Amino acid sequence: MKKIKISTIIIYTFLVILAVFYVAPLLWVVFVSFKTNAEVMSNPFTLPAVPQWDNYFIAWTAGKLGIATLNSVIVCVVTLVLSMLIGAMAAFAIGRMRWKLSGLTMTYFLIGMMIPIHCVLIPLFVSFSNIHMTNTLVSLILPYITFSLPMTVYILVNFFRGMPGDMFEAACIDGCSIYGTFFKIALPLSKTGLFVTGLMTFVNNWNELLLAMVFISDTAKKTLSVTLTYFVGPYATNYVQMFAAIVIAVAPSIVVYCCFSNQIVDGLTAGAVKG
Amino acid sequence: MDKLYRNKLAIIIFIAPAMLLFTAVLLVPICQAVYYSLCDWNALTGAKFIGLKNFEKLFTDDNTMKIAVKNSLFFMLFSAISQQVIGLVLAGLLTNIKRGRNLFKNIYYLPAVLSSAALGLLWSFLFNPKMGINQILATFGVDGPLWLMDTKGYIVLPMWMIALVALWQYVGTTMMLYMAQISGISQSLYEASYIDGANRLKSFRHVTLPLIKPMVATSLSLNCIGSLKFFDLVYNMTQGGPNHRTDVLATHLYYQGFQYFKYGYASAIGVVLLIMCLIVTFIINRCFKSENYEM
Repeated sequence: MKKIKISTIIIYTFLVILAVFYVAPLLWVVFVSFKTNAEVMSNPFTLPAVPQWDNYFIAWTAGKLGIATLNSVIVCVVTLVLSMLIGAMAAFAIGRMRWKLSGLTMTYFLIGMMIPIHCVLIPLFVSFSNIHMTNTLVSLILPYITFSLPMTVYILVNFFRGMPGDMFEAACIDGCSIYGTFFKIALPLSKTGLFVTGLMTFVNNWNELLLAMVFISDTAKKTLSVTLTYFVGPYATNYVQMFAAIVIAVAPSIVVYCCFSNQIVDGLTAGAVKG
Repeated sequence: MDKLYRNKLAIIIFIAPAMLLFTAVLLVPICQAVYYSLCDWNALTGAKFIGLKNFEKLFTDDNTMKIAVKNSLFFMLFSAISQQVIGLVLAGLLTNIKRGRNLFKNIYYLPAVLSSAALGLLWSFLFNPKMGINQILATFGVDGPLWLMDTKGYIVLPMWMIALVALWQYVGTTMMLYMAQISGISQSLYEASYIDGANRLKSFRHVTLPLIKPMVATSLSLNCIGSLKFFDLVYNMTQGGPNHRTDVLATHLYYQGFQYFKYGYASAIGVVLLIMCLIVTFIINRCFKSENYEM
């Protein structure tokens, strides 16, 4: 009995030390964001003497974070809704309906997971500028949806395949059309799966940098992660505002994550893994 | 019932949007990228077909490309090995403890959902030559190295630091995938192994490990592809500097394409990247082609 206890203590010590490595930098950002620049230079690892709320105000206005946040929200929400709808429809056709090419179609979508977004960067940029679509949020939304689809389809196909057939049969007997079965039975039943894919889509696109950097040059249309990069650079000296900006950019993700973190594992367990 | 599911029109309606989008935004541009990679083309002049000259130049006459390939491969190997091992160990530990499992899990996974751009800024400040970690070291009288500006060695120090930060950020993803897989293993298998006299370590070795093998292929290929196309942290921590020593394929492509506007040349880098991703996925699927057990 005693032996087990020692090993437990070692495990917990290890886990706690590791957890400190994860939490400390994030907490530290919050502390620094409330300091003055002079304070950061002299003693960056102490608590702020007087919380400087102004840092946030300046970062928000001077860094144009307000419009950037709005753009990010628009892009992410539209992408989220559309990619879930389109992905779920495709997954339903592949996982539940019977046709010859369903296997091949699935492979086609899965190949998308292997393709780095960088390969299509230049052709997309050229095509979009030819039809004057760069500098619009649509030019981000389209590729974002496309690159979210493989994961969505992959997880949801497993969900739809795992569902008991009886429900669908019952609906069929009651005279429900195929579209009715999709919207009234398949979608509500796969809530967990939709949830996980939704969260992943949202987080990935919220953080996406490369496409947003290349396709959008108009300051009023930039997304949050791009706006952040303006605070970088070897000669940037406004550290406190940079840190305030980091906190602003990261806060929504943390809030969403704290609310829903337990469902992530549930959804992964139920969907992704069975494949 | 059966007829309902063979409804051709419904199938087409369901699959068409995804199919169209996928073809228009992924398949067609890839074909275009392959064609562009065979052209001499900077944004000002039109595209001129020059065959394989871009690739010839890439592999014989481009020092940054050599560094980028080296760094990308290093980054992939380091991430793949470290994330798989540590992720698996964490998943094993966390599924074996009783209290605080969710708390630890959530903490370790947290950075993976945060913006790499923001975290890159945070770490680049901590690794600043005058501030951050070096300030702590200075209080102990140690002269800290130039974390992100050192240029000595085959794999430069900044590259190691970026790889470590990436490990810090993304090991939670691997852990999560393995935890999901482990929680799918039936408890009766463990009970049987305990009755047969196995301790926790042994049952992990002989029950858990074989049963999570199907996950290895998935998580390893996600991992490798993710690190081959890695961009955000490098861009935000070092911007490829000093003197291109921390360039990876993605940053090289970005600079060639959108700073020097060499579309053809950048497309060639993209094609190389794509081929590397496909080869890696192929090898992983070959090596880990595993049998599925009933669980």
